Amino acid sequence: MPRDPDTLREGPRPPSVDDNMTPVYSQEPEDQETYRHRSQTPVDTYREQAGEAAPEYHIEVPETEQHPVLTQCRSVENYEKLNRISEGTYGVVYRARDRITGEIVALKKLKLDQEKNGFPITSLREIYTLLLAKHPHIVNVREIVVGDTLTQIFIVMDFIEHDLKELMSGMRSPFLQSEVKTLMLQLLSATELLHENWILHRDLKTSNLLLNNKGEIKVADFGLARRYGEPQGVLTQPVVTLWYRSPELLLGAKQYTTAVDIWSIGCIFAEFVNNEPLLPARSEAEQLEKIFKLLGMPNDKIWPGFSKLPLASHVPNFVQPYNLLRSRLPYLTENGLDLMSKMLTYDPTRRITAEDALKHPYFSEAPPPKHPSMFPTWPSKGEKTAKKNASPSAPQAVHGHGQDEEEAGGLFNFANQESTGFRLKV
Amino acid sequence: MSQVKLSLQNALLTLEQLQQTPSREDGITEEQEDHLRQLGCHLIQHAGILLKLPQVAMATGQILFQRFFYQASLRKFAVRDISMGSVFLAAKVEECPIRFLDLVNVFDHLIKKFHRLPLDPMPAYQQTFYTLKDATVVAEMQILKKLSFNVHVQTPYAIMINYLKVLELMDHPIIPQLAWSYLNDGLRTSIYICYQPPTIACSVIWLAAMKENVALPTSPAWWEVLDAKLEDIENIAGHITSLYHRPLPISTLPFTIEQVEPYLRGELNKNASNGSPAAAATGSLSSTSIKGTRVSRFS
Ligand SMILES: Nc1ncnc2c1ncn2[C@@H]1O[C@H](COP(=O)(O)OP(=O)(O)O)[C@@H](O)[C@H]1O
Ligand SMILES: [Mg+2]
Repeated sequence: MPRDPDTLREGPRPPSVDDNMTPVYSQEPEDQETYRHRSQTPVDTYREQAGEAAPEYHIEVPETEQHPVLTQCRSVENYEKLNRISEGTYGVVYRARDRITGEIVALKKLKLDQEKNGFPITSLREIYTLLLAKHPHIVNVREIVVGDTLTQIFIVMDFIEHDLKELMSGMRSPFLQSEVKTLMLQLLSATELLHENWILHRDLKTSNLLLNNKGEIKVADFGLARRYGEPQGVLTQPVVTLWYRSPELLLGAKQYTTAVDIWSIGCIFAEFVNNEPLLPARSEAEQLEKIFKLLGMPNDKIWPGFSKLPLASHVPNFVQPYNLLRSRLPYLTENGLDLMSKMLTYDPTRRITAEDALKHPYFSEAPPPKHPSMFPTWPSKGEKTAKKNASPSAPQAVHGHGQDEEEAGGLFNFANQESTGFRLKV
Repeated sequence: MSQVKLSLQNALLTLEQLQQTPSREDGITEEQEDHLRQLGCHLIQHAGILLKLPQVAMATGQILFQRFFYQASLRKFAVRDISMGSVFLAAKVEECPIRFLDLVNVFDHLIKKFHRLPLDPMPAYQQTFYTLKDATVVAEMQILKKLSFNVHVQTPYAIMINYLKVLELMDHPIIPQLAWSYLNDGLRTSIYICYQPPTIACSVIWLAAMKENVALPTSPAWWEVLDAKLEDIENIAGHITSLYHRPLPISTLPFTIEQVEPYLRGELNKNASNGSPAAAATGSLSSTSIKGTRVSRFS
């Protein structure tokens, strides 16, 4: 079972404190009288040059209006809980009312029990990504509030009427092409912002995409989000809920990029068009099998480096050389199919970027994207009952609650025995 | 390009917050507060070096520590606990998390050293370990709460290096390291709470160039091209240089809450400060090197 390097990773460890002391202090502690910082000299020189007396220690405060100002967390008591919207694996989401303004909000309670490493780094990433990423199609976080004990932390968000998974499961026919274009443009523009700023979402899927009654997508659930691009060693694995997980992740790639989000978006695109998941598998092996059956067996020619991926040698040579995407999407235009193929490209380095996808001719051909205000409205489930999270969960270990014994895809373990397809010979 | 950018600006303080700190309201003098802030930053910087953290993480930790004490009083929260919490949290924010054991070991050692106590190694998993570990957990949470989880800190290191490149100073034998050291020293002042990183970056370059007698373009003035005001640059330089005129009597300063009241009465480690051996402060904060330090593109 792959374990989460984030929670288990051992920090840089001084072999023993004493071994280390000597090289660190290049000079022995000085007496109080003679104590000076090393960079003292320049200042005196500077003063001599400028012919000035020692500078006064005074504080002048620049204009601060445009900057955020320090404030403390408020109490969750400022909100009245109305009902549970969702009880996922990693936290509960409530619908609540602001006691002062009367506005309806969503409260996501972080699961913080049994923390062995203080405040979980995953929750930290979730919060600061949300606080930083302000975009019309990223869910707006209003504040973080706290309960009575140190372990009660809530993210206060605008309440959004639907999530796309729940909404689509109740729809009798798929979205219209004009609606699909609008949704895709919104999703891609939010993703473009994230990627431009070196943030991977790593868990894009329909249940993490909220839709309000004005036809606006709000990307949510940054529980697996991560900055990348820093020399920070091996990124966490596994990430991304199985059905939306890219082949390089499934094959054990140690380094990955924004392309993992684009693969997920490709899967979501097909789901919008067909109103059913594109690749609903129950195990990692079955997932790969489904991908290969749909898109043909990859090789080093179309995906340089494929055979060197850690798990590639365990994949039996599969006899399906053809890309059958068209057969799954019979009514999509050539342009639409072209965009989807570019998102579901095996080689991550050749997979289309969010920026380029936004410029794809699919979006400019007829029919044009529907204006969001023309979207139909649906009754919100959030106002009714709590739903149990029945969709596959994001890999558990990665949410970093220190409970790593359970298989990440725990829900799908049974499938390992049942799957009729090939199995990874791991 | 999307129209909307991430909001990456640092939290800055209002004038009231800066002048009327919780500690000042709690009867701590300006000088005492300055000493305790410097002490915390000193601890964080040295702990970071021992823990082999990148300088950006030490900077983040010190800025968090400084911000925290604009929201809370030094009478209520111990320098030791909040500096440990700051290092622990900053390491996570900068994606280089550390283990409790290492953190606690390093702090235990530094505190003994600063108070001139015998440097016995801390017995493994004894009471001290659990006390310090629990204190860290609580402090981390307190920092998050008091700062509304606004713990993303933009630091000027990478910006400064870019500016040095623009000004063709990267190959100068002294200026890059000197300017870098000024950035480190400045962490002990309020400049990171009052100014945005690009302005700070300009100021340390200005100071270093002044010291090295290197003339930089004046028409137009290079700092104007980099969008900084001379007034701000001079002000920041003043904050940094004033540090070198304020000695820090480390061995007489309190690390724990129990030590705070005696300290405020002037009774903590009296002998240490007056008798021999003389109370000591260790060397410069600037002892990290510009070379080989990870300069994050997010810093
Ligand atoms: N701002 C919101 N408004 C309305 N419902 C929300 C909001 N945020 C989350 N939800 C609902 O709660 C569910 C779980 O939230 P999410 O952030 O995805 O947490 P988890 O980590 O448990 O998956 C979502 O699928 C959605 O149905
Ligand atoms: Mg979710």
